[in-house]
Amino acid sequence: MNRKRPYNPQREPRPFTSWRLLLPVFIATSLSAFAAPPPGQLLAAQCAQCHGTNGVAVSGFESIAGKKADDLYKGLLEMSQRRPENIMDLQARAFTPAQLRLIANYLATLPVAAGETLDN
Amino acid sequence: MNSDRRNFLKLAGLAAAGWAFPRPVSAATTAPHVLVIGGGFGGATVAKYLKLWGGNIDVTLIDRSSSHYACILSNLVITGAIPMDRIKLGYANLQSKRGVNFVQGEALAVDPVAREVTVNVGGTHYAYSYDKLVLSPGVEFTPPAGNYNADLTPHAWKAGPQTLLLKQQLSAMTKSQTFVLTIPKSPYRCPPGPYERACSVADYLTRKKRGARIIVLDANASIQAEPVNFGNAFRGIYKNVLSYIPNATILGVDSQAKSVTTSQGVFTGAVVNIIPTHRAGQIVTDAGLANDPTGRWALVDPLSYASKVSPDIHILGDSQGTGQPKSGHMANSQAKVCADAIIRAFNGEAPDPAPVTSSACFSPITSSKAAWLTASFQYDPVTKAMKRVEASFAEAAQPTSDGMQQMYQWADNIFADSFS
Repeated sequence: MNRKRPYNPQREPRPFTSWRLLLPVFIATSLSAFAAPPPGQLLAAQCAQCHGTNGVAVSGFESIAGKKADDLYKGLLEMSQRRPENIMDLQARAFTPAQLRLIANYLATLPVAAGETLDN
Repeated sequence: MNSDRRNFLKLAGLAAAGWAFPRPVSAATTAPHVLVIGGGFGGATVAKYLKLWGGNIDVTLIDRSSSHYACILSNLVITGAIPMDRIKLGYANLQSKRGVNFVQGEALAVDPVAREVTVNVGGTHYAYSYDKLVLSPGVEFTPPAGNYNADLTPHAWKAGPQTLLLKQQLSAMTKSQTFVLTIPKSPYRCPPGPYERACSVADYLTRKKRGARIIVLDANASIQAEPVNFGNAFRGIYKNVLSYIPNATILGVDSQAKSVTTSQGVFTGAVVNIIPTHRAGQIVTDAGLANDPTGRWALVDPLSYASKVSPDIHILGDSQGTGQPKSGHMANSQAKVCADAIIRAFNGEAPDPAPVTSSACFSPITSSKAAWLTASFQYDPVTKAMKRVEASFAEAAQPTSDGMQQMYQWADNIFADSFS
């Protein structure tokens, strides 16, 4: 890793050089090839603690990647509105209906877990 | 510093000196660098998601240990229900699958002007430069008055050698002895955790050391999380083995004598499990970033977890002072908001204006049944703070064996979502 250099406690504190002011310009340019994060990506990542990174669970809980957006949305909306019984009914209540729609649409774009077939 | 960057700086210097700024040819090959200090759930997750979502970003993760022991499930290591290896999480997957640079070293000091962190790597001090810095160091303890010594009266509130020490002490108890557990004033790491530990120890004593007792000394006025499930257990199945004493502020600890003096009296045990008062990790305090009114936690913008003192430094997990609960699940949740905001910033964009964070956990109440707790938070643009969604906040109606099964499944998934 060449980001580090030996520490020299004797060295003078570095002045606030003007190139730092240019850093945002440089960074914005260097990443300009990247598109804005897809809508729903960040919200859907809050499912991953139980349902796995990119919606593919490693154990137990259902994988949610690549399912039909309308089915996911209907399911989430129902969970958020019925009398709460399990932890998912509470988790669904964390989001507004519009956010649930973004989550469902985003999850639908993700590749289905290996070895799984869509049942819808 | 690599040669691309050096060339760029030379160009930038010329530009600053009055030269026309040339098209940044070298910039296309020079990725911005994010330095992450602390390889727990917050640090590991932010490093992973910066690579997963950010593409052309160099990410270096620094931790003083070669692997992380999760506090999640660690109460079950103490009672011998699961082995220590079950909570051991390495950094190999973050390196091989995600391209994170991992460095084992101790971060010593932050220089926000030079944008450098001094790190002790194997006895040599290095300065690591950054474009954005993420501090996720967990908590520091404020030692109680007296001759407090964690090697004699363990906290076991950072998983690792302390976990095994408390396990050994519990295992060595006789059937006539007492286990004393102290709970610090909120906020502390994992609100249900101490009550979960009380239940796990009470269950263990009931099964293995019948006649032994546990005394729970809570500095708070009441049970801080899952009051129904823990309250029912304390008053019900554990009523003959467990005494719960609220409003017990610690005045002093004698670790040699295994004795703790509180506002509710003096208590002595064969095992005295002192969980001291918490504050932000040392590096956060040393960098002058623990700037909330108590001086214990770091004030950050919850849209990005950027420090309110130094906006290129992000602080997440247990050290941040947004009022959200301190837990591994929450740190993971905040890390994703932080990673998304850093990537947007590199792209010249504002953070997502409406992030959601969530916290879920499963607490064993007996050796076969667990309860759960969940709370989620939405950004409130009026107060500019995270606000709990009251409809999302609840605990299980009762502990179940399904809950126990889900606890292990949740652990598997959050371990993988954070560390691989």
